[in-house]
Amino acid sequence: MAYNVLIVDDSTTMRALVRKVLNIAGLELGECFEGANGQEALEILQHHWVDLILSDLHMPVMDGFALVENLRQNQMWQSIPVVLITTEGRQEVLAPFLQKGVQGYIRKPFRPEDIREKLQTILGEAWVPHARELEGSDF
Amino acid sequence: MLESLKAATFEVLETMFFLFPENPEDNADLFHGSAVKAWVPVQGPKSFRIGLTVPLSLAREMAANFLGLEKDEVAPDNIDDVVKETANMVAGSFLWKEKAPEGFQLGPPEVLHLDLHGLNRQNNANAIVLVVDEAGLEVFLEKS
Repeated sequence: MAYNVLIVDDSTTMRALVRKVLNIAGLELGECFEGANGQEALEILQHHWVDLILSDLHMPVMDGFALVENLRQNQMWQSIPVVLITTEGRQEVLAPFLQKGVQGYIRKPFRPEDIREKLQTILGEAWVPHARELEGSDF
Repeated sequence: MLESLKAATFEVLETMFFLFPENPEDNADLFHGSAVKAWVPVQGPKSFRIGLTVPLSLAREMAANFLGLEKDEVAPDNIDDVVKETANMVAGSFLWKEKAPEGFQLGPPEVLHLDLHGLNRQNNANAIVLVVDEAGLEVFLEKS
């Protein structure tokens, strides 16, 4: 199964890195959409279905918290798994996101293995890594 | 605090860039030429900035490693973005290692280009100088 993924981060470089790491981690990507903030993410979701959202936390215009609130209030989008990719590691900051139904977080800096393990947990049996093995040197 | 800053820097450079910093024996010749300085403002009970100054050659290498590109494929915007993201990750990791209360929040990273030639570098008690591939890298924590 190929997954449509939405990457939300105000850094174009970080979005490029996450996309690359998803490939290295073995996720079979269908369409990969990118938004620079929560508002852009919601606009993309108006027109495209995605299976997974990977979002930064601190972003201009609409941050990760507001994005998650919008997603959880919308019947169409409330079941889409959301994983935060963030420099934030403090539990007291992340707890409100987990209470809102965010499936997990990956703290930056991260290794491709961290992404793979988190996605395996979240996508469960639906996870079928494609043939490309982890290649640390390509990261 | 500087130990946490150093540990955060090592973690970021090793994990995201495959670069392994060392402590310098002498930092007199480590900083010259063009450089990129990026920092993240930290707001909270105390306001300060966490950032780093990197010679352009090392910044280019970091961007290439980060994005899986050859050095000559790296665009100037990539370099700025990567150094800003590095400052962001070091700052986040520092707050986490220091178990900083929730009240401390990271602001958006900022970047500045410098020419280190002729700059009078002062010893900064709140900075760490490291060597990466024979280039200097300064990580600093300063009041904003």
